[in-house]
Amino acid sequence: MKRLIALAVILAVILTGCQQAGVEKGEIRVVAMSPRDMVEQLKLGEIDAFVAWEPFVSEAVVNGNGKIIATSADIWPNHPCCVVATTEKDNTELVTAIVWAHVKATRFINNPENREKVIRYAMEFTGKSREVIEAAMTRIKFVEYPDEEEFVKYYENLEKGGYLKRSVEELGYESEDDFLQDFLYKEVYEYVNGKLAENESWMPEKVNKTVRIGYLTADLHQLAFYVAIKEGYYEQVGLQVEAKEFANGVMEMEGFKNGEIEVGYLGGAPATLKRINDNIRISIIAGANSEGSAIVAKDVSSIESSIEELAGKKVAIPGFGTVQDFLLRMVAERAGLRITV
Amino acid sequence: MRLRGAILLTFLWYLISAFTDLPLPHEVAETFFILLFNSEPVLGKTLVQHAAASLFRVLTASLLAFSIAIPLGIVSAWNRSLTEIVMPMVEALRPIPPLAWIPLAYVIFAPLPNTVQVSQIFIVFVGAFFPCFVSVFDYSRNVPEELLEMARVFRAPERLILRDIVLPHSLQGVMSGVRIGLGVGWMSIIAAEMIATSGEGLGYFILVMYEVGGRTAEIVAGMAMIGTVGYFMNWLLLKAERLVMPWR
Repeated sequence: MKRLIALAVILAVILTGCQQAGVEKGEIRVVAMSPRDMVEQLKLGEIDAFVAWEPFVSEAVVNGNGKIIATSADIWPNHPCCVVATTEKDNTELVTAIVWAHVKATRFINNPENREKVIRYAMEFTGKSREVIEAAMTRIKFVEYPDEEEFVKYYENLEKGGYLKRSVEELGYESEDDFLQDFLYKEVYEYVNGKLAENESWMPEKVNKTVRIGYLTADLHQLAFYVAIKEGYYEQVGLQVEAKEFANGVMEMEGFKNGEIEVGYLGGAPATLKRINDNIRISIIAGANSEGSAIVAKDVSSIESSIEELAGKKVAIPGFGTVQDFLLRMVAERAGLRITV
Repeated sequence: MRLRGAILLTFLWYLISAFTDLPLPHEVAETFFILLFNSEPVLGKTLVQHAAASLFRVLTASLLAFSIAIPLGIVSAWNRSLTEIVMPMVEALRPIPPLAWIPLAYVIFAPLPNTVQVSQIFIVFVGAFFPCFVSVFDYSRNVPEELLEMARVFRAPERLILRDIVLPHSLQGVMSGVRIGLGVGWMSIIAAEMIATSGEGLGYFILVMYEVGGRTAEIVAGMAMIGTVGYFMNWLLLKAERLVMPWR
């Protein structure tokens, strides 16, 4: 008899375990993986949809098995995405040099005369075909500084979603405004922008320094970083760049924390999240792009351009706390769906 | 005495918390009890759900491991020529930690759907198999010689000797093998979940809590859940041992 009871207990435990495996209606199941794997997994049918940065969105579309069901421009028009951040805010000389190289590179990208060269750089940087790059470039806006009013939404939504564990007061700021002013450090950009408006060929003083810069795997948003290296903008201001690749923005923030990098290109969501949660003292000195992500579903699946139909589906994101996770949570909330793993 | 141990542990914990970023015991306890049945916002699951997911994988893999390790252990202890074949293999593979199998498992199981989950089950299988096998083997091997001799003097058929002498003696080995095997399997699954995206499970929970940042209390609560489940698993099996072998 007692043996039977023991057996029943074990069986009950197993059965509850089985039940967890099923997906409830009204839930989106998320899995974290690198964007490179997403394209492959979507093809194999292991996932039903993914949210990723370009050029992986276009790659899935061009290769014929993915369909965009919402671009990030649909979800949140003109949303800031990647930014340039640094832990060396007080080193004005260094920051000026970095911002100058970034602004020059961004203007190079946005100049229609350079189109051919830009596409070639983009192909080299991401390793994707011309067709994929051309499609991807139409969905990215390369900017020099993020729209501050929009950027604040990251902070507000992260707080609302229960992602933030600390308040700005705990970090030693008097108020949110006080924090944001320190975090969104626009002064240097304004200075550089002003100088360049006066004289297009203005250049800051050479710093003669090695700087370690982080970036994300084949993230077309961060093309300005690659262009700045290739066009020799860093060299011109005396910077030797050591590039360090990261899988997603959250991992890159770990890089900042562990002192692996001084400057980094990364998403606004992880930057804000880890700035507050782990008190990693970075400031945003420039913007890289707006928009440029999308939710892609498999062509043959039953998802038909509507978010509601993501219910009960398995969706991949590059990591928890990334811009893409953030975008998915935005649409899920609007459609009344719950995010789970 | 046990109570004193608990008090000492709590005291030490407070002491360490005072000097480090380790959250205070009562903060962890609060987080633990809240998350036990309320889903945590980032992953949208409760601690119980994560524990169930991990436990499910461990039980599946361990049952598989035990169903091979137990018969194999008894038979290879019983049959001397089989011992010669099996033991060198086991002794060669046993020192390889389960986690060292992870990359290989990914390569081997890549063609299957759900590669990550299958690999995790395989890793737990490896973790649970060897302690169970060794324990069963040792107990089956150490059947008192005089009992065997006596049985043979009375010309008992081999089948009877196996059933009435070897099997009851190996039972102790089976019970402790299952207990140790499950323990090692439980440790392996947590570690395996931390390495790859498993979607759910306590190891994954702890890892994501670290990545998102600022959640030390959640991390420690997850660890507490691992300990609690492990403790109860052990306790349950000790009880079961007494049920199965009342003579001990």
